[in-house]
Amino acid sequence: MGLIDNIKEYQHNFAVNSKKEKAYLSFLEQGFPNTKNEEWKFSSLKKIISNDFSIEDKGIEINTEEINHNSLNFNYKIIFVNGVLDSKPIIKGVKINKHVDESPSFSNAFSALNAAFSNTGYEINVDPNIIIEEPIEILFLTKNSSNNFIQYRNKIVLGENSQIKIIESVKNIGDQYCFTNMQTNIKLNRSSNIEFNKLQNNNDSQITIDETSLTQEENSNSTVNTLLFGGMFTRNNLNFAQNGEHCESNMNGVVILDDNEFGDNHTYMDHKNANCESNELYKGIYLGKSRGVFNGKIMVQPDAQKINAFQANNNLLVSDNASINSKPQLEIYADDVKCSHGCTIGQLDENALFYMNTRGIRKEDARAILTFAFASEALEKISINKIEDLAKDLIAQKLKVDLSF
Amino acid sequence: MLKIDNLKAGIEGLEILKGINLSVKKGEVHAIMGPNGSGKSTLSSVIAGNENYEVISGSISFEGEDLLDLDPDQRAHKGVFLSFQYPVEIPGISVSNFIKAAITEKRKVLGLEAMSAKDLLLKMKEKMDLLDMQKGYLSRNMNEGFSGGEKKRNEIFQMAMLEPKLAILDETDSGLDIDALRVVANGVNKLKNSENATIVITHYQRLLDHIIPDYVHVLHNGRIVKSGGKELAHELEKKGYDWITKEADKKWG
Ligand SMILES: Nc1ncnc2c1ncn2[C@@H]1O[C@H](COP(=O)(O)OP(=O)(O)OP(=O)(O)O)[C@@H](O)[C@H]1O
Ligand SMILES: [Mg+2]
Repeated sequence: MGLIDNIKEYQHNFAVNSKKEKAYLSFLEQGFPNTKNEEWKFSSLKKIISNDFSIEDKGIEINTEEINHNSLNFNYKIIFVNGVLDSKPIIKGVKINKHVDESPSFSNAFSALNAAFSNTGYEINVDPNIIIEEPIEILFLTKNSSNNFIQYRNKIVLGENSQIKIIESVKNIGDQYCFTNMQTNIKLNRSSNIEFNKLQNNNDSQITIDETSLTQEENSNSTVNTLLFGGMFTRNNLNFAQNGEHCESNMNGVVILDDNEFGDNHTYMDHKNANCESNELYKGIYLGKSRGVFNGKIMVQPDAQKINAFQANNNLLVSDNASINSKPQLEIYADDVKCSHGCTIGQLDENALFYMNTRGIRKEDARAILTFAFASEALEKISINKIEDLAKDLIAQKLKVDLSF
Repeated sequence: MLKIDNLKAGIEGLEILKGINLSVKKGEVHAIMGPNGSGKSTLSSVIAGNENYEVISGSISFEGEDLLDLDPDQRAHKGVFLSFQYPVEIPGISVSNFIKAAITEKRKVLGLEAMSAKDLLLKMKEKMDLLDMQKGYLSRNMNEGFSGGEKKRNEIFQMAMLEPKLAILDETDSGLDIDALRVVANGVNKLKNSENATIVITHYQRLLDHIIPDYVHVLHNGRIVKSGGKELAHELEKKGYDWITKEADKKWG
């Protein structure tokens, strides 16, 4: 069989001519992307989709202890347990609901699939002028009984002058393959501000497709920090569209992968209006036989003058068997634009390692310290200390050293 | 303390050290001088354990133990310290975190209790005072953007913090201005005691005016071709190396 056949079994489950059926048919027409598709050139799903997946796995019961153990234990928590909204905080000026979008839009195979099948996710509406300093933790926790394929669909709308901070993670504690296809749309109204932290620290049975799209109105400010620390296969599509002037978009990523893990970060920055700024910094660290892909596209539309766009993707290949494909893509149609980009692929500096050794720092620790130093710049935009500390601990864990950075 | 016996070492088939013999006892200061390219830095790198250099034959023992068997970090834990001729920039790590990592690891290996953050800071302050360093140093990234002289001072600061038994100072004087030279040399002198030893590599007498050597050696073409007391350095300052190197070349070809 295989996943595509599992999906085909749902032919008769959709109301004729419904939006969901259209999405379903659109997916069947497209099929899963293969490596002939330029956007998926280095990211093969072939092996993964040759497995069977259940689309309606209800999961195994998860007890409170397991929930607490997997939660980051912030005060404000939105927790989904096996797809069901289990708890949500009460915050003045913020409406939080389980999100069921009746007319989802779709533009590619995965968004079509998500539009057809998704029946869970969160919707957060922040009232105008509401500033929430305390971060909201969002956890999607599952414990599967068979290989499962889950679609989450989320939506955040920030009212004018509002501000929130999010830390989101997806985690499966079952022992079968968990394939997550998540679509998140974030709308920033005028002068609003979001810091969105994605923690992707999964084991090697997790497959993640994540598409997060932000649309920004005038004077708004967004920061998305992606912490990709583990998972068998992760593909992130992160899209920003600036619909008004004086917007700022920041995207930072730290990728640390080991063994046979694969991580792909595709970003798309669409500068549609003048006087805006974007900053992008992704740091990749590849150990073992891990593989990475970075594809960062910056588009500056004809009327988008006085744009400042910065992009850097720096990579460290710690092992000879690791690899990275890094590709910046710039399309600039305006003339008064400051745009810089750079991509580097390197190894740890042997002279620096020797220097540290002579000061009594063990090789493994010297490597870890240099590696952390390499990554640290991309952690700077995280304003939440607890997340920064967590990231540091996870990096130490990932590098297998007992150090506090 | 340190005994080097007929040491031959090189890189990629090129023999740079061609039979070095040197013995350093506790409490002594040795100066090594010699023309550019004679092998002074190579010798210090080999003592510190740089794996880029291959030891062809001979031995180095430190306090009776075979040093060549140990990794650079293990040598450091035993008390060997090298002040680099060209200190390396380590972006992303502050001076204080770097030193903290070095001291924490050394104490762990030696089975000593970890030093509290407060004690560590106090000790750093004390050593910075000794070397006339400004407080701002601690939070700057290790050697990143440091001037030549600042880098050298930072080397001696690390030495002061790590309190080695054997310190090798490879051209620590180059890059230091006249006042800094005095401050740094005084710092080195203050750290000296009857239990430790120092090897000073330099081209100039002016450092040896401050750090007075018990022995002076001339390294030429991978060999120690002349040894003497502190007056040898004065003689070299006046006459250059020619009179020694010519004789040596006759002997070794
Ligand atoms: N990594 C290396 N690769 C190639 N040659 C080297 C290397 N290291 C040292 N050498 C050579 O070995 C010789 C000795 O170099 P070394 O740096 O030890 O000299 P030095 O006495 O310290 O000189 P200086 O007074 O200029 O510092 C030189 O000819 C140098 O070019
Ligand atoms: Mg030298």
